[in-house]
Amino acid sequence: MQSNRETLIAMMARVAAGDRVAFRAVYTATSAKLFGVALRILKRPELAEEVVQDAYVKIWDNAGRFDPTVASPITWMVAITRNRALDEVRKGATPVVNDLSLAMEVPDPQRLVSDLLVEAADHARLRACLDALDAERREIVQLAYLEGLSREALAARFGHPVATIKTWLHRSLKQLKGCLDA
Amino acid sequence: MTTPDDIEVLAGEYVLGTLDAAERTAVAARRLREPALDKAIRGWEQRLAPLDDETASRLPPPDLLSRIEQRLDASRSSLSASNLLELETIKRRMARWRTAALAASALAASLLTVVVWRESAVQRGPQTFVGVFAQDDVLPRFYLTIDLASRELTIRPIGAERQPDRTYQLWIASDRIGPAPQSLGLLDDQLGTTRKSLSTFDPGLLRVATFGVSVEPLGGSTTGRPSAGALHAKLLPVVADP
Repeated sequence: MQSNRETLIAMMARVAAGDRVAFRAVYTATSAKLFGVALRILKRPELAEEVVQDAYVKIWDNAGRFDPTVASPITWMVAITRNRALDEVRKGATPVVNDLSLAMEVPDPQRLVSDLLVEAADHARLRACLDALDAERREIVQLAYLEGLSREALAARFGHPVATIKTWLHRSLKQLKGCLDA
Repeated sequence: MTTPDDIEVLAGEYVLGTLDAAERTAVAARRLREPALDKAIRGWEQRLAPLDDETASRLPPPDLLSRIEQRLDASRSSLSASNLLELETIKRRMARWRTAALAASALAASLLTVVVWRESAVQRGPQTFVGVFAQDDVLPRFYLTIDLASRELTIRPIGAERQPDRTYQLWIASDRIGPAPQSLGLLDDQLGTTRKSLSTFDPGLLRVATFGVSVEPLGGSTTGRPSAGALHAKLLPVVADP
């Protein structure tokens, strides 16, 4: 029996060939994940909608470049979405208002297809390596990745100079890489 | 000199999201021509991907898929228009335009300029505009389409060369915007398709605007103007061949 990941990989190959039906299937399987990721960074639903639209157009355009030996489809798609969302939020036009209540949180209808694609072992290892970081630095790494906080925002939130945050980020990244690649 | 350690930290911060706008743009450009950096970025995406599960899925609006498909349809219709435009046709039109343009004013040879015309006979309606950016007025370099309905611009290279340590920047000029060209941002990928939303521009303006591409240092023009010289504000709309 094919795993969900294999199903998604097969659908991506059809998307690369210009199959619109497969594209709709990929969208149905992944859109709540991508919208959740974009919304968490951008806070504003209308911006998140724009970003997710752009992401799917890019997914359609670049499906032929997707390489299943390098990344899982959902990791590849989340990376496209996060990059676009971060570019948008770094433009500085986004006021930090929290409209998250406007978007309905769903009890992960797509969890089977997306979230579980990341191997449980990868999960456990990242968790262990994050836990090895000093608590404050761990929180900084997680807030940066999940909420898209800038160095300045992190500095304000944790009451440290921006330069300190930058140094900590660099050290945390080196430590994480050493731990994960060990 | 960039060491492997520096590349890892830069890639890590890029994926984490803590670089500022200028740094992000620079990294996005660098990864296209530095396989080591690109690989390091993919490595970090892979390492941090388990964190994605900590973000709740949220249902997008029900009409989002149809909005996306409309955009795909719009660019497909412009692509089929491009298929009809054989290079010979493009050259013929360029020649016609060149004669007119030369008569009107001298051209800055270093600048890539564009001609925009209306696809009347081959298109469903006057909603799609296409243009060819040509270097030194002769050699086609980029092919541009604008869909007025979605106000989306698509630009893709025709034999454009990858410019090491340089980037292409897109501009719009019109009397209605002001005397200086306005930047539409950098081209994402020197060898692939770039899309830009022009939703802040009025369709009437887009119909008559001039577009230009200039070669800039990484990160884009530092002066807010095209480095290669002033864009030609007067671009002659050419009527499609009968």
